[in-house]
Amino acid sequence: MIQITDLEKFYKTEEVQTIALNKLSFNVKEGEFVAIMGPSGCGKSTLLNILGLLDDPDGGSFMFNGTEVAGYNERKRSELRKHNIGFVFQSFNLIDELTVFENVELPLIYTGVKPAERKKQVEAVLEKMQIMHRRNHFPQQLSGGQQQRVAVARAVVNKPKLILADEPTGNLDSTNGNEVMDLLIDLNEAGTTIIMVTHSEHDAKYSHRIIRMLDGQKVTENILA
Amino acid sequence: MIRSYIKIAWRSLKTNRLFSIVNILGLSIGLATTLVLFLFILHERSFDSMYANKDKIYRVLLNTTEDDLETWTGSPSAVALELEANIPDIAEAGRLLKHDFGGTAFIKASNEVFTEKKLFWSDASVLDMFDVEIVKGEGSEVLKTPNTVLLSESTAKRYFGNENPIGKTLTIDDVDVVEVRGIFKDFPENSSLDFNVVAPFLMQNAAKNPTWDNASFETFLRFNSASPNVANVEAKIQDILDKNVKKDDQWYNFSLQPLEEIHLYSSTYKDSYIERNGDINQIRNLTALAILILIIACINYMNLITARSQKRATDVGINKTLGASVRDIIVRFYIETGLITAIAMILGGVLAVVALPVFNDIAGKELDISSLFSIEIIIFLVLIWFVTSLISGSYPALYLSRFSPKEVLKPSTNKGGVASVIRKGLVVVQFSASVVLIIGVIVIHQQLEYIQNKSLGYNPENVMAISTSAIRGGQANQALVNAFKKLPNVSVVGRSQGYPGMGVSGRSINKPNTDETMGISTNTSEREVADVLQLKLLAGQLLPKNKQAGDTLVEVVVNKTTVDFLGLSPEEAIGKKVAMQLGNNAYIHGVVEDFNFASLHNPIGAYAFHNSNREPKSYLLIRFTNEVLSETISNFENTFKNIAPNSAFEYTFLDKNLELLYEKEQRTANVGLLFSILAVIVACLGLFGLAAYMAEQRHKEIGIRKVFGASVPRIVQLLSMDFMRLVLISLVISFPLAFYFMNQWLQDFAYRVTISWTVFAIAGALALMITFVTVGYQAVKAAVANPIKSLRTE
Repeated sequence: MIQITDLEKFYKTEEVQTIALNKLSFNVKEGEFVAIMGPSGCGKSTLLNILGLLDDPDGGSFMFNGTEVAGYNERKRSELRKHNIGFVFQSFNLIDELTVFENVELPLIYTGVKPAERKKQVEAVLEKMQIMHRRNHFPQQLSGGQQQRVAVARAVVNKPKLILADEPTGNLDSTNGNEVMDLLIDLNEAGTTIIMVTHSEHDAKYSHRIIRMLDGQKVTENILA
Repeated sequence: MIRSYIKIAWRSLKTNRLFSIVNILGLSIGLATTLVLFLFILHERSFDSMYANKDKIYRVLLNTTEDDLETWTGSPSAVALELEANIPDIAEAGRLLKHDFGGTAFIKASNEVFTEKKLFWSDASVLDMFDVEIVKGEGSEVLKTPNTVLLSESTAKRYFGNENPIGKTLTIDDVDVVEVRGIFKDFPENSSLDFNVVAPFLMQNAAKNPTWDNASFETFLRFNSASPNVANVEAKIQDILDKNVKKDDQWYNFSLQPLEEIHLYSSTYKDSYIERNGDINQIRNLTALAILILIIACINYMNLITARSQKRATDVGINKTLGASVRDIIVRFYIETGLITAIAMILGGVLAVVALPVFNDIAGKELDISSLFSIEIIIFLVLIWFVTSLISGSYPALYLSRFSPKEVLKPSTNKGGVASVIRKGLVVVQFSASVVLIIGVIVIHQQLEYIQNKSLGYNPENVMAISTSAIRGGQANQALVNAFKKLPNVSVVGRSQGYPGMGVSGRSINKPNTDETMGISTNTSEREVADVLQLKLLAGQLLPKNKQAGDTLVEVVVNKTTVDFLGLSPEEAIGKKVAMQLGNNAYIHGVVEDFNFASLHNPIGAYAFHNSNREPKSYLLIRFTNEVLSETISNFENTFKNIAPNSAFEYTFLDKNLELLYEKEQRTANVGLLFSILAVIVACLGLFGLAAYMAEQRHKEIGIRKVFGASVPRIVQLLSMDFMRLVLISLVISFPLAFYFMNQWLQDFAYRVTISWTVFAIAGALALMITFVTVGYQAVKAAVANPIKSLRTE
């Protein structure tokens, strides 16, 4: 599904140039669950941005489903993104002004799904995430674990092929964290590809494969399953 | 999708109360102002639009071609006749004279005497061209016979109550007896012409002997077709003038003014009988002010919404990761702005309703609240809503929509960049505008103060002028003078044609052995008038006490400016014969020091008191020894009524009358003050909001500084200085602008204050103080907060 080859990304300020990604290469097959680990500043987030089509690489190749997407413009990336990729963030990033239901509904609105159909899909996914009873609450009224479940629901409501998770349990206690991980496992078992950036060895053990990074390069790769 | 945007916008409004209140309040003040002014402008522009012949009616203007180059609205009485007879394009022409050349009439109806300020002597054609609607009796044709009169509906009611007025007689000023022959509908409020009583012009001397001299008659023309070739007609008028008046004696020429321009473009013309004059400059200034306030309010919106860009960036980022396109985001921000503007609009409408009476009071207008609900206003509102939303929404929509979705994953630490520069720029614009307004208000106030306290060369205090135009015959008048002289508290009494502050007769004076002439105001008066006014005699004597009947000798007492023009010293001038259209036998008898007989807009011109009987002495001027009480006035009224039972007791105090000369400026000052306060309030609202968000944005920095030992005053200083610096820049920008504008405004006065540096100091101090108070509150709040709190949130 994803093939990156010699991927490069630089950050320039007036004086210094930092290499965020240094000729990074790896592949992810459809249905895989990959964890990416490494210390702060190793380029994990940059990588996730590029994989999520939020940012452009400075060099190398990025094949998504067999198509070269490096160099796509914002409009094309946006199009590809909304049909194929779901995001889960450490800080949940729910919209404060919208209820649980409305937050989950948002991606469907952007892809142009009809209202009746939207309602059906949102309710189905809320049911699955066991958050249906909170559908009319606003994010601030929920616990962290509940918020992250809403975020996961929002990420999957469009049935994306790929979910990118950026430290999904980073702001949660262990019980809530485990629940979220269980959700991701369920999704993965149902066929969704997952790439997760994490600091937690515990979370990483849920994945099939761990890629460890340092200074923008891949250091090791452990296959777990 | 749009529903979801409205939902987000609405909920975001509710969660961010301060932001919403500041924004909506600022915008609604701006909108209310614009609305009230639009009403006002609409009303001013509607003048005379109701007349069917509005495109065919023109007024003849007279332009003097000597010294002052003034434009008068009156022309000689021969003009209408000659033009109608000799220019085929003109369907009809007519003349209009306000009673007694602009005075008050005393009308005896039944057994009561009424003071009538709107009696006009008019040709029938004037009523025809303005399609005056007759509701009872005969129409304009009655003006072709003498001793007839037409009354307005409300005047007929005032004079005769519910009795049938037709066939009743009226006595005007105890002289002319006229019969009421018809009743016309009251003139609408937005008509330039406004008659209560119309009597035939042909009863006037000027109609019996039409001349090319006395330019006191407003002349209206109706053309056969709309929009005639004005230049062509004006050339023909010049030909007619050349035929009738020798080139050497032509001290004027004529031009034409279309009816639609009469209301707004006549404010600089002299001596019009039309009192409902507007001023296009006032309209322009007010429009500019309204737009300025609206822009300041829009700037607030833009500033506040972008000041919160950190939160916005995250929002935009999330939406983009969920699939929103740039277009979606732009639409979203416009909708949000549109919603806020709509709420502000409604609130602004309510404010306008509340503010309208206040505006009417300050501006001296009678705008009607019901006109707020007209179709024009509704179209205007929708238009303003659209424009405001577009202006205010553009910046956030176009700027924020470009935020990269990366922001979500790693919030940028770059706090502003371009946005912050633009924001600061906008604050500078707001404050510059406010400071210009503050300075404007101070200068206008100083100028008015100056005018009111300036030494005028005569003493207007404790002088009363009583109108005696209805008292005929020397005996009755002499009896009146004698009776008043005997009253306690009266020091001097004298009769005169007019008094300083009102127009008297305009003539011209010729410098002997040259072609040079100069306009001169002449005032038929008694010797005592100079004492009433406390004028200073420079040479010669005051007018002689007595004058024999039939004596053709005319004695003249002129002011210093007159003898300066003649090239004589006051002493040399005594006994010299003068050519000033007072016959061949006029001599200078005395010279008085200059005094400001007109408003201080004009420099002192030539002025002469004389004892020719060409004009009636219509006023009794009385000087008191001390302040007049109301019982003294009723005592006067009794004395007056005893001698002149057929006249109403009408009086004015000279100093009160002078204040009327500056009414327009006083109004300008009041309206300016109102607008400036509004502008400053709106700008402060913006500053307040901005300071709140600035403090919020820098809370982490403040926390760190406090952990490392910064004191509360240091933090307050840190936060306030940023804004203070902006205000200082505004001062630098606004000072020269304000100086330029106010200097322009002062040019209208012949006597004016110089703009002193203290004005700028006061305005600057005021602006800095307002800023400090506004920002200080937020700064102190941020500074005293516990730093642990702010540092923990990251």
